[in-house]
Amino acid sequence: MENNIQKVRNIGISAHIDSGKTTLTERILFYTKRIHAIHDVKGKDGVGATMDSMELEKERGITIASAATFCKWQGHEINIIDTPGHVDFTIEVERSLRVLDGAILVLCSVGGVQSQSITVDQQMKRYKVPCLAFINKCDRSGANPLRVINQLKEKLGHNAVAMQIPVGLEADLTGIVDLVIMKAIYFDGDNGEDVRIEEIPDNLIDEALQKREELIDAASMFSDELMEAALEDQVTEDLLISAVRSGTLARELTPVFMGSAYKNKGVQPLLDAVTNLLPCPSDVENEALDMEDNEKSVILSSSPDDDLVAFAFKLEDGQYGQLTYIRVYRGTLAKGMTMVNVRNGKKFKVGRVARMHADQMEDIGKIDAGYIGALFGIECASGDTFASPGMSLTMTSMFVPEPVISLAIAPKDNKSQINMSKALGRFTKEDPTFRTHVSDETKETIIEGMGELHLEVYVERMRREYDAEVSTGKPRVAYRETITRKAQFNYIHKKQTGGAGQFGRVAGYIEPIAEEEFLFENKITGGSIPTQFISACEKGFRQSLAKGPKMGFPVTGVKIVINDGASHAVDSSEMAFQSAARGAFKEGYAKAGPVIHEPIMKVVVETPTEFQGAVMGSLNQRRGMIVGAQDEGPMCSIESRIPLSEMFSYSTVLRSLTQGKAQFTMEFNAYKQVPQQIMEELVEKAREEKKNVA
Amino acid sequence: MLKNDLILQNPLRLMGYKAEEILTPGGFGAVLARAGVGKTSFLVQLSLNSLLKNKNVLHISLDDPVNKVNLWYREVLSRIADQHNIEQTNQLVETILPHRFIMTFRVEGFSVPKLEERLSDLTEQNIFSPQMLIIDGLPFDESIYEPLSQLKTLAQKNSLYVWFTMRTHRDETMGPDGIPTRLIKVADLFEVVVQLQPEGKEIHVKALKGEGADSDHPSLLLDPATMLIKDQTGR
Repeated sequence: MENNIQKVRNIGISAHIDSGKTTLTERILFYTKRIHAIHDVKGKDGVGATMDSMELEKERGITIASAATFCKWQGHEINIIDTPGHVDFTIEVERSLRVLDGAILVLCSVGGVQSQSITVDQQMKRYKVPCLAFINKCDRSGANPLRVINQLKEKLGHNAVAMQIPVGLEADLTGIVDLVIMKAIYFDGDNGEDVRIEEIPDNLIDEALQKREELIDAASMFSDELMEAALEDQVTEDLLISAVRSGTLARELTPVFMGSAYKNKGVQPLLDAVTNLLPCPSDVENEALDMEDNEKSVILSSSPDDDLVAFAFKLEDGQYGQLTYIRVYRGTLAKGMTMVNVRNGKKFKVGRVARMHADQMEDIGKIDAGYIGALFGIECASGDTFASPGMSLTMTSMFVPEPVISLAIAPKDNKSQINMSKALGRFTKEDPTFRTHVSDETKETIIEGMGELHLEVYVERMRREYDAEVSTGKPRVAYRETITRKAQFNYIHKKQTGGAGQFGRVAGYIEPIAEEEFLFENKITGGSIPTQFISACEKGFRQSLAKGPKMGFPVTGVKIVINDGASHAVDSSEMAFQSAARGAFKEGYAKAGPVIHEPIMKVVVETPTEFQGAVMGSLNQRRGMIVGAQDEGPMCSIESRIPLSEMFSYSTVLRSLTQGKAQFTMEFNAYKQVPQQIMEELVEKAREEKKNVA
Repeated sequence: MLKNDLILQNPLRLMGYKAEEILTPGGFGAVLARAGVGKTSFLVQLSLNSLLKNKNVLHISLDDPVNKVNLWYREVLSRIADQHNIEQTNQLVETILPHRFIMTFRVEGFSVPKLEERLSDLTEQNIFSPQMLIIDGLPFDESIYEPLSQLKTLAQKNSLYVWFTMRTHRDETMGPDGIPTRLIKVADLFEVVVQLQPEGKEIHVKALKGEGADSDHPSLLLDPATMLIKDQTGR
């Protein structure tokens, strides 16, 4: 493995469904000689494209799971991370995007900028990923790359500039004109592998000159040297490329390439552009958090000689067992070395280190900083950071929010039952915000997560990847109970029904606290409750928290202080004091103004401005409070706080309101008190459910 | 109760205005200062003063994103709360949030018809009806007359009080009343003009136009450490 970080590119290829992402990847792998035959996505040979390694993907012609693959072009090493195209902002998508240094945004020359391109673009923006655009399918009838460039400007607000123009269009597409070298490029041979460079056809010279001027104009904003050279009419290729690169890395310029992957046209120049224009790992600043210094952010050097910091971004169950895709940010990860999983402090030795190429692999001895590789048989979850022993840097915050929504699921048959538990085991490892347990009362399997969509994605993945057919119940919001004022309790537990009696008196007060979920304080003096029973009292109170007396939701934000009590020499026992504490809790709780709290979500909708009014209306109807609206050119984003219980099926509503052009993200914000009217509805609902169960 | 405490202690009352509101409905006020002196902070305090009285404020920023504006409010409010030893800042924030709406535009994307459209989106659906408008970051250049007069019509139609920030420059020529000469043409539109003037270690709040201008009340200061308004006694 070579070791020049300047020549490494970690890129993603992002696109709207059906704009030819997989075909393009396939061609890239062919021209970089990673594969020796081209299989089309929906090809007649039944082999399917190389990146689509899952059966289902080949069958349907779509790419579902992400894979990382590696290839070489002009002395550069390119890692292609196949980013999941689905919109939902689960932790997994976030992680895939995190490891990219640059991206190719693939657009269809007929369809142009479609709603999902908008989504994909937003994701790139959020993670500040520099990108270049490739307008694919220029051989299709109705192809119009110039219109797509305009859409890039208008709909996505990119400063898009053509780097090429097509020679012919639709069925007559024969090649492209490169506006940097001012030559026409044709692609000969059975698979377009022979690149032939010719003079620009006469009929295109004027257009090429005009577009080149536009390109120089746009690029000279990023280089004074180029601007001077342009004034003196002495623009060189290197000057122009370096200016375009500066603009691209700053995300202020989007160079646009074109061609047709299916017809083998324009792919090699695109690869040149990836090596010339997209950043290498050391061009990008990566931050880690120092666990020992209050998660303070630390900029990582990209030196292979420093201590190791590596990030596991994807787990895969494959034919080789559990595979952990990993990106090394700093230092070198080599076979046989010892490293620590920063999340749990576990040390382990590195076994096999490999480089993946869709579903084939290649053993390598080490992974240097900036590179992507895979490890075998490592016990970890995705999102874990590995570091040299003694280090406490982590790539992601250790804060994992509590789930806010739950769903009961049931397998449809025996086979699904087994597959479902496999799937749940895997998902909980991949995603710390996804949890599962079996309900004590109903014996159903409950899955919990951060939102309706979050759970839906996993249910769908169970079906697709694990062949587990499950039926789902209605989603339930994780309500909580808490108190609003201080109240005293003084409870005597007494039982004398034959045999040993039970006696215990517990007195004190209960009060609300904001900072913690539960606090227990013992202020007993003089031994009115003997020391050995204090822990039994605490246990009794803790037991009461699991199910609040008001509506059976977990109780949080409560401080309990005991300051008096009584015991009996014979009849007092741990059991007796636990019961006394439970009784005392009930007594105090009822007087302490108990209320129900519900999770409030921070909902941000990104929508084209023309739908702003309608979107705000839809948020307002959901007991939402709109914090503000931000105008960002053609799009605007609206930030609001909305109770989770009102957000069910919002994605459908939003889609129909905005012709599918808006998207929203939702994250947990805080727990807040449920308004009186809603609380009454909840009580009523709970009563009815109880009746139904009975 | 918390709210009442803060309303009573608001030093703006000392500026010499007899009426509850400094502006009349449909009236314009402006805060003039050089960059970085505290215009936004001053306006946020004016806004908070109204919010604490349950008046709805629409805060429009052409410089900062929503999150940053939000942060301004939290900061200013927590400093005010600190000053008055009020612990439950969060509770205070919760009570004012429903009365505040932040809207941000890019400078080049802002126009009065656009604002009017957004405003009717909000009012027609009963989402939010502002009583006060804060416009932060509007560039007061040669072309300002037309949008300002459009805004005036809008403000009068909806009985809005409108406050602007106006950035001045070091080498700007001033008229006799201290108002920059480039604003003479639009000066009539404004009822109140306040200037933040750094003098030594202090920032003086001077009324250039309006009732406060000729009153003999002590002038106010903006504490450079906290960016809070205080009177000469430090309250």
